[in-house]
Amino acid sequence: MQFPYGNAALTLLVVSVLTGLGIGIVDVRKATRLDKPDIVFATFAKDHLPAYIPAIEKFEKENHCKVQLQYVDQPTVKGRLQAAMQVGAEVPDMVEILDGTMGTFTSGPLENVGFVDLTEKIKENGLADKLVKSRFGKWSSRGHLYALPHDVHPVMLAYRRDVCEQLGIDVSKLTTWDEFVRVGRQVTKDSDGDGVYDRYMIDLPADGGDALRLLMLQRGARLFDDKGNVCFDDELTAKTVCWYVRQTSGKSKISFPAGWGQNFAKTMQDATCLFFICPDWRTKQIQADVSAVKGKMALMPLPAWEPGGIRTSTWGGTGLAFPKQGKNFDLAWKLAMYLYYDPEQLGPRFLDNYILPPLTSAWTQPQFNEPDPFYSNQRRGMEYIKLAPQVPDEPAHTYAQTALGKLSEAYQNVVLHYEKNGDDGLEEFALAELKRCAERVRVMVDRNVFLRTDDRTSKGAAK
Amino acid sequence: MSLTTPQGPAIASVKEINRAGDILKPRGGPNNSYRGPRWAPYIFLSPYFLLTALFFIYPLISAAVLAFYQTNGPSYRKYVGLENFRFILGDPDFHTAILNTLVFACGSVFIQLPLSLALAMMLNARSDRFKSLFRLAIFAPNLVGSVFVGILFMMLFTPRYGLFNQFLQTLVGWGLEQRWLADPSLVMPAIIICTLWMYVGFNMIYFLAALQNVDANLVEAAKIDGAGPASIFWNVTRPAITPVATFVVVTSTIGSFNLYELPFTLLQGSGPNNSGLFAVTYLYNYFNSQDLGTAAAVGWVLAGMIFAVSLIQIFLSGTTRRDR
Repeated sequence: MQFPYGNAALTLLVVSVLTGLGIGIVDVRKATRLDKPDIVFATFAKDHLPAYIPAIEKFEKENHCKVQLQYVDQPTVKGRLQAAMQVGAEVPDMVEILDGTMGTFTSGPLENVGFVDLTEKIKENGLADKLVKSRFGKWSSRGHLYALPHDVHPVMLAYRRDVCEQLGIDVSKLTTWDEFVRVGRQVTKDSDGDGVYDRYMIDLPADGGDALRLLMLQRGARLFDDKGNVCFDDELTAKTVCWYVRQTSGKSKISFPAGWGQNFAKTMQDATCLFFICPDWRTKQIQADVSAVKGKMALMPLPAWEPGGIRTSTWGGTGLAFPKQGKNFDLAWKLAMYLYYDPEQLGPRFLDNYILPPLTSAWTQPQFNEPDPFYSNQRRGMEYIKLAPQVPDEPAHTYAQTALGKLSEAYQNVVLHYEKNGDDGLEEFALAELKRCAERVRVMVDRNVFLRTDDRTSKGAAK
Repeated sequence: MSLTTPQGPAIASVKEINRAGDILKPRGGPNNSYRGPRWAPYIFLSPYFLLTALFFIYPLISAAVLAFYQTNGPSYRKYVGLENFRFILGDPDFHTAILNTLVFACGSVFIQLPLSLALAMMLNARSDRFKSLFRLAIFAPNLVGSVFVGILFMMLFTPRYGLFNQFLQTLVGWGLEQRWLADPSLVMPAIIICTLWMYVGFNMIYFLAALQNVDANLVEAAKIDGAGPASIFWNVTRPAITPVATFVVVTSTIGSFNLYELPFTLLQGSGPNNSGLFAVTYLYNYFNSQDLGTAAAVGWVLAGMIFAVSLIQIFLSGTTRRDR
């Protein structure tokens, strides 16, 4: 019997059907595999893996179970996990999520949040008193906690100690930002007269970004208050924005945007900038990327906004959440306690990932007290530990990213105003811009029917 | 009767033509009809219809319905009527996104396409052995993915250390510390520079193909009649390449309205003061925040705009009039 449409069409049809069957068989075999793990643990943080792998192997032996550790790209975690949890697709039993993304998962009524509510569990285990308190806010929504904090991430300034000494800068006197700027104006100059500054005091991103946010936090200004109301249109924020604009724009600026990667490394190596904002996790990046400055770097607390004020802030964070669809919550919780809050593991791990854990009892481990030759033999761990209790709280919010975008919009308009008019009416303009942008965020929050009080408890919103 | 020339039969007879026509008649025609089961063709066509229905018609209808709901992910939705459309049409960010998209589209049409045409004319005028090499060199950037181009130019535009800034400083003594991606007034030029590098060669290929099809006899006749290069271009070349030019303009405009990956990777978001916010980025932001209803409404508004702009362009180019 001959195929009526010719051999070419028949061949294409056969190839297509066989390929489809092949893919289908592979997928079915994967799905019906007998050696399924007891727990699937997904993380976006590649830096965490080297410490987790041996710890998990030990946990598996002790508990006679199988744990599958998956590395998943961060945008994938944010973009797909929420949808997967809602439609009942396969999800991990425990998952690490990035600072700033919790709002995505808690954007609806509380009963629809896909993660297990850990509020009571934390109380039962006494963790509320054992961990740095300010770290719970990032993983909470409307008073309910949905993830365990992995870190503290206090912020210091890393600086070129050798160049500062050559220039006669006494960093112990840089206790306030006013003093820092005064010295910065002397340091930042065009020595050879070619119209380009040869040296800057500090690396600050030109678009504000995370640096502006962490400086706001240090000063006590936030995007949202404890009740979730937009609050970045206050005078404190306006003052901070204006301060930042003066340091990054115009002729009296003291900063240069070093960016990331190679440019950051070159800026540090050439000492184009002397000071760099440096949370604990960045100390490892600097050590890995700019080995040429070994022994030439040192760490100091952030200058305070007023004498005696807070000398640190925070940048970034990871939280560990448990999807409700997880099949083995008790075992997953046990693994979480083992990985996150076992003091004996956290000491050696600090040597590997340079990240300060939030479990205060772990800070007595000897590894936190070791001098670091890269940072001029400073006891890096202890430097961050001293600042950890001051780390400000930053509550999560569904519209945190939107608010950051609007803060950036206001900031850019203030820059334009400053470049055109200088200091004339700068703070008034900044306040007006912040009010306009904050109002826009309020409009967006208000139109979310899932966040309205009458919808929080009703099932009406559910399909 | 056979039409002959002194060298022999050059044109086939009418009978021969009819015979050839019979051979070339499609199968299934009245003289050679298909005798299998009547439903067989539909079976073979069904995969296409099935896939179209599943991946095109159903999503289209679903998106139309979704635009009238506010959603929190795929499972939770609430009917809001026209609220999504009302909101986006009154949203200053949407206006910014549309304005940026239109500016970029104008940049594409009025900078990129004339440049493509000029390059094509230069290549068409020359007939040396390096022609293919030039054509490949100009077209090659299009072989690179737009995400890669975004990352590449992000490095090139780096203040102080970026190649582009250093080149400008060396050439004109300005630009070493220009913040192309952080200064709202420089973001759009930076994106246009990237797309010029990427797409000029691609559109040049279309124009080159069109120019090579311009009737050389007409050009020769115009020259004999005393027409200058400008007159030849306007009266001979332009009408001949108009259908291709219309196609390039329409596809470039649609491409401009769909711009997403390049600014997103170049700016790692919407850029300072939303200067790199485009219509599709605006849509993606709602999609990413689980508000699929608003994203669907943006999609429909965008589709309507693309349809309207394309219609206007086709009407203005006069292509349809000539087709009639």
